[in-house]
Amino acid sequence: MSLVFKPEETFRGDYSYRNSDAAILRFPFPFPEDRYMYSVNIEPHVRSGPTDAFCRPFDIDEHYIAECRDRALTLELDPGRCQVLPHMMAAQWDTLELLMENLAADYPEQFSLTKEGDVFGSRWTWINRPLGIEQHFIFGDPDTLPCEPFEYITRQAQGDFAICDQREDNLYLDAGMITSQADWSLAFNVGMNFMEWHGPVPLAHQAGVFERALKYLLMLRLGQPVRRLNWTMSINPRLDTSPESYPEWGPDRASVTVENAGGKVHLRVELQTLWRLPRSNAILFPIRCFLISIEELARVPKWGKRLYRVLSSLPPELAEYKGLTRYLPATLAWLAPLDDGAQLATGIGPDITELAPL
Amino acid sequence: MIGDTLELIVVAVDDIASSLRHVRLAAADGGPLPPAAAGANIQLRLQGAARTWRNAYSLISPPGRRDAYEIIVRRVPESRGGSAFVHEVLKPGDRLVASWPSNLFAPQRTARHHLMIAGGIGITPFLSYVADFAHSGASHALHVCCRESETGTFAPWLQACGELHHYWDADGHRLDIPALLARQPAGTHLYVCGPAALNDEVIQAAANAGWPASHVHCEHFGAALSGGTPFTAFLSRSGIEVEVGESESLLEAIERVGAAAPCLCRGGACGVCVTRVLEGEPEHRDHYLGAAEREGGELIMPCVSRARSTRLVLDL
Amino acid sequence: MMQSQIVSRPRYRDLAAEDTAGAHLLIVEGDTLAAGQMAALATAFAVVAERLQTWLVSAPATALAPGRVRRLHTVEEARTALEHIEDGFGIADRLYLQGTEPFMWSLATAAGRAGLSPTQIRMQHAGSLKRRVWCTHCHQTTENVTTNIATCAGCARALLVRDHFSRRLGAFMGVMVDAEVPGEVPQREEVFR
Repeated sequence: MSLVFKPEETFRGDYSYRNSDAAILRFPFPFPEDRYMYSVNIEPHVRSGPTDAFCRPFDIDEHYIAECRDRALTLELDPGRCQVLPHMMAAQWDTLELLMENLAADYPEQFSLTKEGDVFGSRWTWINRPLGIEQHFIFGDPDTLPCEPFEYITRQAQGDFAICDQREDNLYLDAGMITSQADWSLAFNVGMNFMEWHGPVPLAHQAGVFERALKYLLMLRLGQPVRRLNWTMSINPRLDTSPESYPEWGPDRASVTVENAGGKVHLRVELQTLWRLPRSNAILFPIRCFLISIEELARVPKWGKRLYRVLSSLPPELAEYKGLTRYLPATLAWLAPLDDGAQLATGIGPDITELAPL
Repeated sequence: MIGDTLELIVVAVDDIASSLRHVRLAAADGGPLPPAAAGANIQLRLQGAARTWRNAYSLISPPGRRDAYEIIVRRVPESRGGSAFVHEVLKPGDRLVASWPSNLFAPQRTARHHLMIAGGIGITPFLSYVADFAHSGASHALHVCCRESETGTFAPWLQACGELHHYWDADGHRLDIPALLARQPAGTHLYVCGPAALNDEVIQAAANAGWPASHVHCEHFGAALSGGTPFTAFLSRSGIEVEVGESESLLEAIERVGAAAPCLCRGGACGVCVTRVLEGEPEHRDHYLGAAEREGGELIMPCVSRARSTRLVLDL
Repeated sequence: MMQSQIVSRPRYRDLAAEDTAGAHLLIVEGDTLAAGQMAALATAFAVVAERLQTWLVSAPATALAPGRVRRLHTVEEARTALEHIEDGFGIADRLYLQGTEPFMWSLATAAGRAGLSPTQIRMQHAGSLKRRVWCTHCHQTTENVTTNIATCAGCARALLVRDHFSRRLGAFMGVMVDAEVPGEVPQREEVFR
């Protein structure tokens, strides 16, 4: 896929973010069926999937430059969005290596990595053409980078990143670069174990979802990453929906009407992957966020109809937890006319290869 | 960095003591190997004339080395198993299939001090620990119990070791485990790897002294992931009978004969492959089924679980 | 309100000495002591009495305690004393805390800095249910919160006090309650008395 970046688009202020037709068709739509409920929907993260967004270990798309700029803005306002506990240095280098190797392999026109050796102490050169970066550094020596290795590389990647240290048969959220989260605070959660960190999620604990997920993740193997989708909704294409900035974006939830819902209400999908890291034995948890307005989404007829069915049958606890309650009625009213009641194929693919012209 | 098996070539074999063989392995295609952490092991598929062994060995090469993996194999007396194969048959140029590195014995990164106790060949995981700690600057001490004649055997891998002590079976040279464990500061993590008797003694002594269990670690070697004793599965709906080999999972065997078997995680967690058992007794290895479902014996997760009985009849 | 569906919320249980070979330190928030409580503690710690030190913080001068007793005036003083404990803690030592949540977590986090693992610390809640609240917006903490809605000491926003708890901060999460519709603030109720 050739990449044409849209460096000027914004995720705040005038919210000029839009998806091209190609970006719509590759969107990781999260609903294979007409109803949604929590499950351990984990599958191997292989180089294939129902849409193109699944097909590379670390996905880059047309929004790359604009997203990196938005992250830099958020970090300038609040450096605490990146936190790394002191025992995570090996995991920081693991993350840098994994991202650089994969980005250079999958996007050779955009990135390149040259190594004089693989072990700590080797000279490496990293080139990031979209962001205009050429960095010579010594792998394993943080003083040869402008900031610590985890912050350095995640400033140049799309999506949030957390690293979990594994100990005491648990996973601890001991590092994170979190600037596009669905309303959770890294500064509050850093250092928590897996159960504490998922503490506020309703229904799933009682169903044993987290116990099973944790047991599974503790056995996650090097070289066999896994993925799952999670979703919520946002008003406006805003990446920074953190609790820190809730006073800024909270009022938007009260601004939705049936007339403006199509452009304002966005489906927010997280393609979450999980990687065993080689040197630290920690787990890297990239959370790649995709935003699409329901107007854009509905250009894929199957997705528009299915979204209506999922939202209209959502358990109220989940709607409340995801913060949808206030604008769900207007959203449903906007979507309702799209649903002709036709039976929809199982699965999340768009089932079309081209969008009808606008 | 995605994959599950590696094609390796033996680069060198070297007898470092009468029953210890050092083996150096590289990627058969000459490329870089996946990096591995301190305490990691690889499972080697050793193809003998009559049968195949799958043995796990600790990597002793410095963590992160990608040009070669090194292991040390002790010949188990009277064994006709994998260790004898490594000592008698394996030679430079031989090709082997190995798993990617996995790690059930990684150092605790939050430790303020690492206290290691090794018995005999149980020293191998600590050789990579020492290299890791030397790089990170972590405080550590290694206490080695071995034969008096072998106190120098591992010296080439221990040059960067901080505090190092050797013990052997003679008056004045034995390790006083309770005394060692009594004087350790908060924040210490204890690791033991050796014969079962030593492991048990150290774990018991730590418990007696009041060490929190969270700070005591013991290497559990070679935990099988999906292999085991062979058995027969009969797929009642499709009428196919399949022999499940010792080195494949039930799910892999079902897939091999082309039967439809839904699955997702292939690790016993997601529940997608859950299958009804019509006859036979399952050996459950999954994280999905509850205690009652396990006891009921009517469900199985073929991606990881196997059979206690010689035959299983499945509703597939 | 001590029990919650939210699993990050710590659960406390009655203190009982663990008979380990290390030193045992019991720290009690004195002004939460109820009648008979010290006698119960003396019984619970009899088995390690020889290795026990008890720190009484802001306790009445007449209060008695098991083991070697040290009297401290404030939680800050106790925190400093913990961080400067002679020879540091040993791996078999145990720390037992009794008092309000802000008291216990102030000391637990200080003990963590001194090297103690969470698995070496035991806690029993006593006294008020008051909370320390961490504001997600300005990251300041507000002490002695007894109401479901609190005014942030840092940014003055009205915060909804949630049950989500951070052991590292020793605090509950506070989130602006009327961000979506300014002024839409529910009735303030004293629920953490």
